[in-house]
Amino acid sequence: MTRERRRSPRGVLARLHSRHVLHAYLFIAPVIVLFGIFRVAPSIQTLLYSFYKVELLRGRFTFIGLENFYSLLTDEIFRRATVNTLTYVITIVPISAFLGLVLAVLFNAEFHLKEFFKAVYFSPMVTSTVAAAMVWWWMYNPQFGIFNVLLKLVSLPEQPWLMSSRMALPSIIIFSIWKNLGYNMILYLAGLQAIPPQFYEAATIDGAGAFGRFWRITLPLLAPTTTFILIYNGILAFQVFDQVFVLTGGGPAGSTNVVVLDLYRQAFERYNFGYAAAEAMVLFVFIMGVTILQYVYSQRFEVAY
Amino acid sequence: MTRGSKVLAIVLVLLFLIPTVALAGAAKKTITLWYPAGDITAGAAHFADKTLFADFEQKTGIKVEPVALDYDTMQQKIFAAAAGKNIADILFVDDSWLPGFLKEEMLEPVADAKAKAWLDAVSPEIRTLADYGKGRMWGYVQYGIDVYGLTWNKDQFKEVGLDPEKPPKTWAEFRDYAKKLVKRDAQGNIIRVGYAIRHVGQPHGVVHKHFWAIYGAGAALIDNHLALRGGKYMVNTPGGKAALQLVLDMLDVDKSTSLNFPDPRAAFLKGIASMQISETVSIRARQPKEAPDLKWGMALPPVPKAGDRPATNLGGWLYVVPRLAKNKAEAWRAIEWINSPEKDYELCKKYGASPRYKVNWEKEPFKSDPYDQGLKQLYPYGIKLPINLGFNGIMEATGNAIQKVWHHEASVDAALAEAERLANKAIADATK
Amino acid sequence: MRAALKAFGQLNIYLVVGGMAILMILPFYWMLMTAFMPAPDIIAFPPKWIPTRLTLEHFTVAFEKAPWLAYYWNSFVVATVSVGCSLLFGLFAGYAFAVYRFPLQNFFFLLILATLMVPVQVTSVALYIMLSHIGWVDTYLGILAPNFASAFGVFMIRQGIKSIPVDLIEAARMDGAGEVRIVLTIIAPLIKTTLATVAMILFLGSWNDFLWPVIIINSADLRTLPVGIALFKDPYGNINYGPLMAATLICTGPMLVAYIISQKYMIRGIALTGLKG
Repeated sequence: MTRERRRSPRGVLARLHSRHVLHAYLFIAPVIVLFGIFRVAPSIQTLLYSFYKVELLRGRFTFIGLENFYSLLTDEIFRRATVNTLTYVITIVPISAFLGLVLAVLFNAEFHLKEFFKAVYFSPMVTSTVAAAMVWWWMYNPQFGIFNVLLKLVSLPEQPWLMSSRMALPSIIIFSIWKNLGYNMILYLAGLQAIPPQFYEAATIDGAGAFGRFWRITLPLLAPTTTFILIYNGILAFQVFDQVFVLTGGGPAGSTNVVVLDLYRQAFERYNFGYAAAEAMVLFVFIMGVTILQYVYSQRFEVAY
Repeated sequence: MTRGSKVLAIVLVLLFLIPTVALAGAAKKTITLWYPAGDITAGAAHFADKTLFADFEQKTGIKVEPVALDYDTMQQKIFAAAAGKNIADILFVDDSWLPGFLKEEMLEPVADAKAKAWLDAVSPEIRTLADYGKGRMWGYVQYGIDVYGLTWNKDQFKEVGLDPEKPPKTWAEFRDYAKKLVKRDAQGNIIRVGYAIRHVGQPHGVVHKHFWAIYGAGAALIDNHLALRGGKYMVNTPGGKAALQLVLDMLDVDKSTSLNFPDPRAAFLKGIASMQISETVSIRARQPKEAPDLKWGMALPPVPKAGDRPATNLGGWLYVVPRLAKNKAEAWRAIEWINSPEKDYELCKKYGASPRYKVNWEKEPFKSDPYDQGLKQLYPYGIKLPINLGFNGIMEATGNAIQKVWHHEASVDAALAEAERLANKAIADATK
Repeated sequence: MRAALKAFGQLNIYLVVGGMAILMILPFYWMLMTAFMPAPDIIAFPPKWIPTRLTLEHFTVAFEKAPWLAYYWNSFVVATVSVGCSLLFGLFAGYAFAVYRFPLQNFFFLLILATLMVPVQVTSVALYIMLSHIGWVDTYLGILAPNFASAFGVFMIRQGIKSIPVDLIEAARMDGAGEVRIVLTIIAPLIKTTLATVAMILFLGSWNDFLWPVIIINSADLRTLPVGIALFKDPYGNINYGPLMAATLICTGPMLVAYIISQKYMIRGIALTGLKG
């Protein structure tokens, strides 16, 4: 379709579209203005704050250049938070995507009660993260939570879950996977169903087996969906906050401290707003970097059809 | 009607109308009070009562509106509200938040004359808590102050052959008792710890619950507790190291406690911890409802060796008035009213808490109540938290160190050396 | 033979899908059970999968602690207004980005997308201060301020409109229709499903939003659901599991019911968002 458009006389189109510049600005005005005031302006202020020592309540702003950023480099707690966040992202994004794909493939087949099961897998998405995290907090309780109770039933050793500095982050990861599983599955399913069956038929005629078909046809054609899933999940994963706040509050021993939580603490409990702004900038750079990388990398794999 | 009667009538009518109009016209002022809700604050229980300020309202026409906030996000809300110059008139806060507020110059102190009068009228432990040097008060201390004490389950003591009226006095005895009290199931999982430790959650809380050991062993968070600026971190000392090592040994060597148990108070009330050291007021307030059959004892925390001086923490809730509040005069009036000797007596009696005024301690039921008299044994050893402006940094550094050590992520020496570096940095930063 | 293989395959699918489904549902089931179980049953071992008797005591406690109906109303108001505005503004903006060519187009589009990458924690204090200067703190307007438009919405709508043949639009213009009319009467119906999906996702997002409401709301009667339930949270080992689960059930129940009724449409719609135009 894109090619067809390009073939039409460029001049005509350009003339037609340039008439609407006024309309264009008018139409995007509400969004731009509202974002400008309530999202962009505060963001820019934050960027500025990162170069200052901000004492908000005294109205004192002292320019300190890159000092906040230097402090970040030597801040052991922030370093740990960054490592935790990266660990979280690197673990959860591929696993969620992979599980989503597996389930989508399964759901692509026909079987009874498919719609019912689909609904079941998607249901965690409609609950609020805070409420769901509380239920899981209760389930993770070492003495009375259902997980340890089940382990005890089959004579396996009880686990500390959220109480252990080694298990806490994995426990949160498990929660997040549960929460987002249905979404990825649905997206992949749609992607799968959009692949015209002719491709499969042609491949089968050429002698490709089930695995070959999957590897050579399904995966590449799913690339746009995969890109979207990886980027979207990635951005959300970098910003993880609600569940960490509810489940562990960053502990124990800083093992589940993540960047956004640390930023929040610095801003609202230590009142180091300039420092928190610097952390926010670092996070932003990370997200931008990873997103751009993924996007560029994925362009290589996209197959238009 | 004669002319005289007419005049009289008019005068009478005016006399009647003027006060009525004045009262009606008197703007019914509303002031807001923010307090943290939830089981974490026994001291804030009375704010849920809608009639609490009824008499005050009637007398002065000022309506006090208590608003419950979530404890975890309360500091943040206070800060954001102050920044937006839209803050409540009275704040009911944890006194450990005070250094943070003072650093940002957010509070108005109590008027000197009023402070002196109050400090003279209250018992010594309240005075210790409220006096921040040279008679300066930053807020009124709430009744039922937190003093940390060792509480133990008397039935469980009896069960393992220990005298239920004799708590452990030294660290050696403490470890020994814990070893006897720990209980396991068939698979070897611990189902009851001898002593419950607090190691999750905010670093501050971790330090609070281990304060007794640190100070009991001769260490301290900072050398001068009343100085706003300057000072030296004193936990990276033989005493501090011993304090951390104590629980580490109980975890690894004695195996009488575990990291798998939640908050010590909750565990104690549920019967899955035989001993714990934390705010006695929490246990006192929660036990009747949550564990009506629990027989518990209360005493000073154990000391490293016989003859050492016990140490425990003193803490409480404060009624403070922010500098940016819009109705400061009314706020102070309300605070003084709710903290008067009469109210103190009435509310303490109602909620079963320990009073503040010397005169009230002389009255029943406080005079003969075993719990309140037991508290009097603990008070003299209570130490208030430091007010240094770098306080938050000190607590975080220490709390993180303790957590790391007990979670086996760092050795005692390494963790405390790091904590010292960070704490001294926080102290230095606060002087800038 | 083929039938047998097929049956075997089917069985496998059921095992895997069914097994995982049980895990997915376990938290809901457990929340439900704990909310209705008498307190001693909650901590009983072996666990009581079916309670010995049902009790409403936890709900009584939960309702005493918080005005849930007010919370529902607030969440509803905020979500509806937010979604309504986002759809309307997003429709026009998405159309403009999809159909028009104009100077700084890419700049503005990237600007909108960039807001997705800045978490609310970053902008919250600056935004709070700004709002307090215009008196929007502790008001519906304050909660709505960062949510009047949605970058996600603009993005999705633009995707959806891109797949509409440009000839249709040209034809309508030839007929003399103004741009606004085109957007509302021609484009909107054509991307119905995209709009419905965006509406659903945004509604869910607003319904479950936690941090910004917690910051901006002070009064008890303005609270939205997530803020309300945060008050039940005691990270240090709250023993009151019963009321806690009752509270979460109150919080999530109606949403789940609505979901069960409409899930077919929900899922179908969301599926379409993943497709490239």
